Parts: sequence; structure tokens; C-alpha cells
Amino acid sequence: MWLAMFRPLFKSKKFLVSILVFIFIVLLGLVGPIVYPVDPTGYAGPFERPPSREFPLGTDTYGGDLLAKVLNGTRTSLYIGFLTAVISMSIGIIIGPISAIKGGIVDEVLMSFTNIVLTIPNILLAILIATYLKVRSAEVIALLLGVLGWPWFARAVRSQLLSLINREYVKLSRMAGYSDLRLAFEDLIPGIATYAFMSFILFINGGILGEAGLSLIGLGPTKGVSLGLVLQWAVLMEAVRRGIWWWFVPPGVIIVALTSSLLMITTAMDEVFNPRLREK
Amino acid sequence: MKGYALRPFLKYVSRKFIFLLVTYFIAITIVFILPRAIPGNPLSTLLRQIFQQGQANPELIRSVHKTLMEEFGLGKPWYEQYIDFITRAFKGDLGTSISSYPKKTLDLIAPVMPWTLILLIPSIITAWIIGNTLGAIAGFKRGSFTDKFTLNFSLIVSQIPYYWLGMLLIFTLSVKLHIFPGQGGYSQGTIPAFTLKFILDMLYHYILPFLSIVISALGGWAIGTRVLVIYELDADYVNFGELLGLKEKTVFSYIFRNSILPQVTGLALSLGGALGGALITEIIFNYPGTGYLLFRALSTLDYPLIQGIFIILIGSVYLANFLVDFVYALIDPRIRLGQSEGS
Repeated sequence: MWLAMFRPLFKSKKFLVSILVFIFIVLLGLVGPIVYPVDPTGYAGPFERPPSREFPLGTDTYGGDLLAKVLNGTRTSLYIGFLTAVISMSIGIIIGPISAIKGGIVDEVLMSFTNIVLTIPNILLAILIATYLKVRSAEVIALLLGVLGWPWFARAVRSQLLSLINREYVKLSRMAGYSDLRLAFEDLIPGIATYAFMSFILFINGGILGEAGLSLIGLGPTKGVSLGLVLQWAVLMEAVRRGIWWWFVPPGVIIVALTSSLLMITTAMDEVFNPRLREK
Repeated sequence: MKGYALRPFLKYVSRKFIFLLVTYFIAITIVFILPRAIPGNPLSTLLRQIFQQGQANPELIRSVHKTLMEEFGLGKPWYEQYIDFITRAFKGDLGTSISSYPKKTLDLIAPVMPWTLILLIPSIITAWIIGNTLGAIAGFKRGSFTDKFTLNFSLIVSQIPYYWLGMLLIFTLSVKLHIFPGQGGYSQGTIPAFTLKFILDMLYHYILPFLSIVISALGGWAIGTRVLVIYELDADYVNFGELLGLKEKTVFSYIFRNSILPQVTGLALSLGGALGGALITEIIFNYPGTGYLLFRALSTLDYPLIQGIFIILIGSVYLANFLVDFVYALIDPRIRLGQSEGS
């Protein structure tokens, strides 16, 4: 059944290309540091050397090996993105259905709360909170971005569920005396599974880009390596104006390739599974 | 506007206004709570540090310490601190900067704010217009080469952070090709003035940061509008119009108007994120705006200045939100005529 469902997806060229790019970058992050076991925080050799046989992506101002930094940074960025998505998703998947199923005053309170978080500029708030945290691990950054990122998803889940709730089969389940929890898990949430999966991917993007943004203003993880931190040091050391392209180009290319391949995966899925977008 | 339509319009606008006022109040409250709620209270840590450094210039340090104690009211119970904070915030007193003592934070923010607005507003509006038009054309000609190209281009471009595109533009067009200046808001050594020479110089420095924001921001709008237009293609009025033999251009303009409406609300919601991106872009370009000031405040841990910048920025985002909602109410006939509340 699963195979038949996903078969049309593999006919989409866009899906195939983007999933290959995505898998390639995930492998870079997961396997790369093992295959290329250079310490990303150590001093590998001469300063600011362009890419060479010895240092495939060159070195930075402190003689750090940039390939090692980028590989390990990709791993951290993927981890932060994934964790952010798990956190945002969990909050949204609780608030959205409760709001839709309970209705009335519960719905009203939850949605006002959601709208307030939605309108507070979350990047600004993330900057403000990060300012006061002296020690910021990758997990703290993910928590920060995850806790601020869920509102649009909760709203969309609620409105999609509201249109499901009036269907016959849901009414029958209600008459059969299903509890709200059983109703949510058996009748409603499966109906939004594709949408939730696509949102999860967008949350990953939010986490990766959010980490890069926070790092650039000096509020990224306080230890370890991430793509954002590599970019931050490139900016601090004026790599751009001094023409040290091997410092700031690779991390940006990975960020853009990673997030746009993920976005393309969701678009390709939407084109296959959403009847209103399917080409006639 | 006809008389019967005024009431629902006013109702909609005043509801939006009250909502924003409440949210702003909550935002200020968060700004108040944060430093006090975080373990190790960064404010008192800072005060202690300042006090310990007092050997160099005891006189100055003592007065900084005194001002901070007064403004943060750390000795008082929390509710008194809170009331003090809110009343001062509404009076426009955002405290005294530590790194530029004894300057008021508001006096530091006021001169840099226009630079940020000049950078942000034209670029996000340009991106919105170009992006939506591209997306609408792509959706209208769905399946064509134009559509596929626009979609794939937008999917990639929308994921490029403003600041990274900025870095690429500086490297290629400034460092390598020497076409545009790669930093600052104007040439070093000139003094901002209302002369033609200065304005031209400013525009020359403006192009790269402007382009970084426009190019990366238009992708998202194009993707969204394309889908909205495709949804509209199935609508009854489109089929009817085509049956009537209306010109393609006329049908397109109807579709465009209908699908652009949700994107107006989208503009309001995207402002916060766009501002965040623009602040970082300013840092990359050493552009003399709020982002640059914030960066300086962050690196010196000037908490009053950081707080002040946030209160002003969040307030501006809310004000802009409200203006967009107001425009939305003016152009959406459903609200204008009071048929429904809109989305």
C-alpha cells in the first residue's frame, strides 16, 4: 500500500533531484566527519590558505581546516534543524487539534494565544532571549527557535481539522462514544499526515536558517561548530572584503542547497498529493 | 465610502488595533521579565561587574551604577519595577545606555532608525511586487517553461539568506569587479546632508544591500502567489469569463486581484522576519542602521540599549502590521461592504 502511494512521487524529476541533493548533504554531515577525521576546532596548519590538496577547502585566519569545520558544521546545523522541527511540531500538533475538537472557550483562548505568538516577531525575540543566555548549546538554540516557530502550523492544523470534523465518519465515531483523544488519533490526525510531514520539513529549514542568523550576530551556540558559526567568523575576520571566498562560500552553499532541496521536496509532494495542484 | 459600510469597517479596524495594543503590551512585558527570570540574573551580574571595574574611574562608574539601579529599580519589589518600566516605556523613556553613558538609548536609536527604514521599506515592497507578479504569471501559464523556470528559481532564491547574498554581491561586484562600494551607507569622510551630491553617493552605496534583500525576498512571494493563482484557475468566474470569450489579459487581471489579497496579510506577517534579516544584512554591509547599533550593543552587553532597540523595533513592526491591515480593510470588498470579517 505504501509503495503504491509513493510511486507517483518517484516519477517527479523535481522530487528525485532534490531528495538526492538532500541525501548527499546528510551524508556529508553524518559520514563526512568520520571519513575526514580532522579536529574542526584545532589548528591544522598555515593561515588563510586557499583550497589545496592538503586542505581541500583551505584554512581560516587561525589555521583551522575549513573542510573539517564545514562537515562538522553541517552535522550541527542538521541536528539543530531537526530538533527545532520536533519541538515546533509537538507544540502545534497538541494545540491545533485541542482547539479544533474542544471548540468554544478553549478554542478561543488557544487561538488568541497562538495569534499573539504569531505576531511577535520571533527572530527579534530569539535574539533578545539569546542575549541573556551566557551558555548556549545547540539544544538551547533549537529550543528557542522551536518554541517560537509553531503558531502558523497550529493555525493551519486547526482549520484543516475543522473541515474534517464535520465529515460523516467523524460524526459516527462521536456517536459511537469515542473519546476526544481516540477521535484525534484515529480519525483526524491521519487526515493531515501529509500536511504535517511537509510542515516538519519547513520547520527544519526554519531551524537551519534561524541558527545561521543568530550565529551571525554573535548569538549562536557557544561551543562546537555550526555552519552559522563558520559564517560569523568569516564576517568578523572580514573574509569577504579580503577576498577569502573559500571561507564564506561553502557554508552558504550547503545551507542554501540543504534548505532549498527540502523546500523542493515539499513542493514536489504537494504537486503529487494535492489534487488541486496536480497537472491536468 | 457609503454610510452603511462604515460600521463594519470601523469594527474591523478597531478590533485589529486593540489586538495589536494588547500584543505590544505583552511584548514589553516579555522584555521586562526576560532578564529578571533567567537564572543568574544577567542585570545584577552586569551591575556587579561594573562595580568591580570601578578602580579606573570611580566617579563615572558610581554614577553609571546609580543610574542603572534607579532605572532597573533592582532594590524594589517586582510589581513596582514593572509599573515603573511600563510607564517609562509609554513616556518614551527607554533608559540610559551603558556603553555610551550618559546618553539616553532613545537618542542613540533615533538617528539610526531612518537608515533601517530607508533600506527595509522600499526593498520589501519591491520584492513583494516583483515576486507576486512573477508568481502570478507563472501560475497563469502553468506547466509552461516560464512556469517551471520561475518556480525552480524561486524555490532556490527564497532560501538564500539576505546576508549571504549580500556577502556574495560584495565579493563579486565590489571586491572583484569594483563596480559598487562594498560597505557603509555613504562614502567615508562625507557628512550626511541634504545635497544632491550626498544623495547620489548614498544611492550608490544603497544598491547592493537593496538588491540582497529584494532578490532573496521575492522568491517566497512568487511561490505563494503561483499556488494561489493555480487555485483560482478552477473558479467559476474564470471558466465563465473564458466562455464569454474575454481576453486573456482581462481574465488574468481578475485572477491577479483575487489571489493577491491573502498576500497583503502575508506581507504584514512577514515584516518581523524581514526586519531580522535586514538587521543582519546591515551588519554585513557596515550599514549605519539599527542592525549595526544592535550589533555594537550586543558586543558590549549594553542591556538598556538592547532593550530599547527591541521596544522600538517591535513597536514599529506592530505599527506597520496595523497599517497593512488597514490597507487590507480598504481594498477587500468583503470588509468594506461588511459582508464578512475576512480572514
